[in-house]
Amino acid sequence: MLRYTLVRFLSLCVTLVAASLVVFLVVEIIPGDPASFMLGLNAEPDTVAALRKELGLSGSLGSRYLDWAGGMMVGDFGRSYTYRVPVAELVVARIQVSLPLAFYALLLSTAIAFPVGIMAASRRGSILDIGIMGSTQLGIAVPNFWFAMLLVLVFAVGLRWFAAGGFAGWDQGVLVGLKSLTLPAIALAVTQASILARVMRSALIDTLGQDFIRTARAKGLTRRQALTRHALRNALIPVLTIIGLQFSFLLAGAIIIENVFFLPGLGRLIFQGITQRDLIVVESVVMLLVFAVIVVNFLVDIAYALVDPRLRIRQ
Amino acid sequence: MNLLEVSQLDLAIHGTPVLESVSFAIEHGKTFGLVGESGSGKSLTALSLVNLLPPGSVRAGNGRLLDQDLFALDESQLCSVRGREIGMIFQEPMTALNPVQSIGDQVAETLIVHGACSRSEARNQACSKLERVELPPERFPPGMFPHELSGGQRQRVCIALAIALQPKLLIADEPTTALDVSTQAQILALLRSLVEHDGMSLMLITHDLAVVADMADTVAVMESGRIVEAAPTEQLFRNMRHAYTRRLLKASFHKPRRGRLNALHDQPLLRVENAVRSYRLPKSRLFSSAETLRAVNGVSFSLDRGESVGLVGESGCGKTTLTRAILGLDPLQGGQISLGGRPVLAGRKMSRSLRRRMQVVFQDPYGSFNPRHKVDRLVAEPLHLGDQSTNSARRREIVAQALEEVGLTGDDMKKYIHEFSGGQRQRIAIARALVTRPDLVVLDEAVSALDVSMRARILDLLAGLQVKHGLSYLFVSHDLTVVRVITDRVLVMYAGQIMEHGKTEDVFRNPRHSYTRQLLDAAPCIPRSWMQG
Repeated sequence: MLRYTLVRFLSLCVTLVAASLVVFLVVEIIPGDPASFMLGLNAEPDTVAALRKELGLSGSLGSRYLDWAGGMMVGDFGRSYTYRVPVAELVVARIQVSLPLAFYALLLSTAIAFPVGIMAASRRGSILDIGIMGSTQLGIAVPNFWFAMLLVLVFAVGLRWFAAGGFAGWDQGVLVGLKSLTLPAIALAVTQASILARVMRSALIDTLGQDFIRTARAKGLTRRQALTRHALRNALIPVLTIIGLQFSFLLAGAIIIENVFFLPGLGRLIFQGITQRDLIVVESVVMLLVFAVIVVNFLVDIAYALVDPRLRIRQ
Repeated sequence: MNLLEVSQLDLAIHGTPVLESVSFAIEHGKTFGLVGESGSGKSLTALSLVNLLPPGSVRAGNGRLLDQDLFALDESQLCSVRGREIGMIFQEPMTALNPVQSIGDQVAETLIVHGACSRSEARNQACSKLERVELPPERFPPGMFPHELSGGQRQRVCIALAIALQPKLLIADEPTTALDVSTQAQILALLRSLVEHDGMSLMLITHDLAVVADMADTVAVMESGRIVEAAPTEQLFRNMRHAYTRRLLKASFHKPRRGRLNALHDQPLLRVENAVRSYRLPKSRLFSSAETLRAVNGVSFSLDRGESVGLVGESGCGKTTLTRAILGLDPLQGGQISLGGRPVLAGRKMSRSLRRRMQVVFQDPYGSFNPRHKVDRLVAEPLHLGDQSTNSARRREIVAQALEEVGLTGDDMKKYIHEFSGGQRQRIAIARALVTRPDLVVLDEAVSALDVSMRARILDLLAGLQVKHGLSYLFVSHDLTVVRVITDRVLVMYAGQIMEHGKTEDVFRNPRHSYTRQLLDAAPCIPRSWMQG
C-alpha cells in the first residue's frame, strides 16, 4: 500500500510539472507580446514597457518559468493587473466560497445518490426503479441555471427562507455562511446526484449478478445483507471515479450558478480574468485548478486501493 | 431415516417446465451423485432445495431435511437453513469469492451471520476452518485476499466457508470441473474426508461419470429435467438400464475413428528448439532487483505434417505460455520456433502468409467471439491473411462451405453467436480456424468446457477434418482422457520443462517419469470390473 501510494505520488508530481509547463507555454505562444495584448490597441509604449517588466517578460524562457513556478510554490502568484492586488489574495477570498460550495454540493449529491441508487438496484424493474430512473433522467436533462432560478422563485421570493443571492461570509458564523450556499449547492447537486445515482444503480446491478453474491446467499445472508456487505464495496469503484470527476467540475465549473446567485467564486474570478485580459490571474487560477484536479485524482487513486486490495502492490 | 428426501419436485421458469417430478433421497453420511449433461437441470435441482432460484421460478413438490419441510419455510427461515444446515460450493472458484474481502473474513462471516459466536471468536474459528481444508495459517494467513490464491486454493476457501457451521448436507455443484487433474484429486479427497470424518452428507453434482464412480454411494442420472435412473453406484455401472446412461458412458470413453495419414517425415512442420520465455516477477521490495520466472525453460520438440501431438500438464506449468509463443503472440527470450522451415516471430514481424498457416481454437467458445458481429463476419475474419483480396460473394461462399464442413448450415452465417449452444459455438470456432486452409491447428483446451456427449461429437469432427485436409494438431489440455484418444504422441510438461514424451499409448501404459505417473493416478476412473458385460 505504501509503495502504491508512493508510485501514485510520484506520478502526481510529474503530472504537475508537465501541466505547469503547458499552462506557461500556452501563455508564451500567444501571438504577439502579452503586455500589449493585455493593454489593448491604444496603449502607450511606456505603459506596455512597465507591464512587461511587471509580468517578468524580460529574461530567458527557462528562467522566467523557474521564477513563475518557484513563486507559486511559496504562495507568490504575482499581482493582478486589473485589481492591483496580489493574485494570492484574490484566490484566497474566492476559494472560501468555491471550496465549501463544491464540498456541500458533492455531499448533497452523494447523500441523495447512494440511497436512491441502492433502492433502484435492489428493486430492479419495480415501479420504484422505473420512477427513480425517470426522475434521474429529468434531473440530468434540466439545465441547472433554470433549476436555480426556480429555487430562487420558490424559496427566496415566495417562502423567503433564503436570500436570493450573495454570500454572507464566514464572519457571522458557519451556519450563516452555509445558509447562503444552500440553494446554489442544491442547484448544483441535482444533476450530479442524478448521474451518480444511475452509475450506482448499474454498478450494483452488475455486482449483484456475480458469483460471489450467490456464495454469500448460500452462506445464509439475506438479500439485503448480501447487498450491503458484498455488493456495495465492489460497486464503489466506478462510483468513486465519477465522484472524483464531479468534484473537479464543481470546483471550477460552477460559474453559471455563481452568476445566478451572485457568489464571488473561482469560476467568476477566472471569467472576469479572461474578459479583462488579466493573464496573470488566468494563468495562476488555471494552475491552481489543475493542481486541485490532480490532487483529487490522487485521492481517488488512494481510495481505489483502499476499496480494492487487488490494486495494492504487496510489500 | 434419510437426511434429505425430495419427492415430486416440479419447477417451471417463466412458465417453461425445467424439472419434472424429480425424486431422490440422501442418507446420513453418504455421498449422492447427480449426473447429466449441461442443461439437464442438475444445478436447478440443488438450488430448488434452498430456494435460490432465478426470478420467475415456480416450484412444487416436497422436500424434507430430517423433520423440516424445506418447501414450507419462509425467506427468513431459509436464511437460517442456508449455511447452517445446508452448505453449498459451486463450479467457478475464481469468481465465487468476494474479491475485496479477506479469506478469513469470508469464512468468519458464515459464523457471524448465524450468530454462532462473537466476532473475535469467529476469527479464531475461521483459522481452524481454513486449516481443516488444508490451508494452514502459517502459509495462508486469514488476511490474504482471493486474488493471491490459485483456483484450487480458492475452492478450498469456498469449502471452508460452506462447512464452517458443520452443515448436515454439503451440496457441491461441479466443484472440480474448472480445475486440473491433480488439483481435482486433492479437492475430491478433501470432500471425501469431510464425509468420512465430519459426518456430512454430500450431494455431488457433476457431468463426469468417473468422478461419481470414484466418490458416490448412490447415483441418479438426469436427462432434460427428469431422473431417468437411480441406483447404488456399483449396481448402476454394472447394470445400466436406461439408454441415456449408456449413451453418457459411451460418450465419455468415445474414441474417434482416426483415418491414417501418411505423415511426411522429410521435414517436420513445426520445430521448437530450446524455447525460453521468462517473466519478471513483481519486485518484493522497492529497491531490490526483480526476480524472473522461467515459464518455458528450454523446450524442444517437433511436429510432423498430419500428426497430432498432445501437450499436457497442470495449470501453471507453462502450456499456455508455450502455446502463445508458437502462435507468434509473444516473443521468446531464447531458442527458436519454425513452421515449415520459416521462423515464427512475434507481432508484426511475422509475414501474413506464415501466420495464415496456423490457427487456434480456444477453450471458451463464447468469450472468444465478438458478440456484436454476425457469424459470417466472425468466420471470414482470418481471410485478410490471404494473398489476394476476396470479394464479398466469394467470401460468403467460403464461409458457407466452412460452416457446412463443421456440421452447420450456410444459413447460420446470418445469426449472432449467442443464438448457438456451446457445442455449436465450438464448431464455429473450428470453422473460423479452417477458412485460411492452415497446416497447423492449435487446440487450446478446445473441448474442456463441453460435456461428454458434445465432446465426443467434436472429437469426431476434428478427426474427420484432419484426414480431409491433412491437418496437424497441437492438442493442449489438462484432460488426459481426451488427449489419449486423439493424439499420436504426447508431451508431459511440468514447471516449464518437458518431463516425458513419446507415443501416446506408450506414455499412458508405461509412464516413465514420476510426474506422469502422478498425473495419471490423479485422474478419477471407473473400475474396469464394473464395466464388463
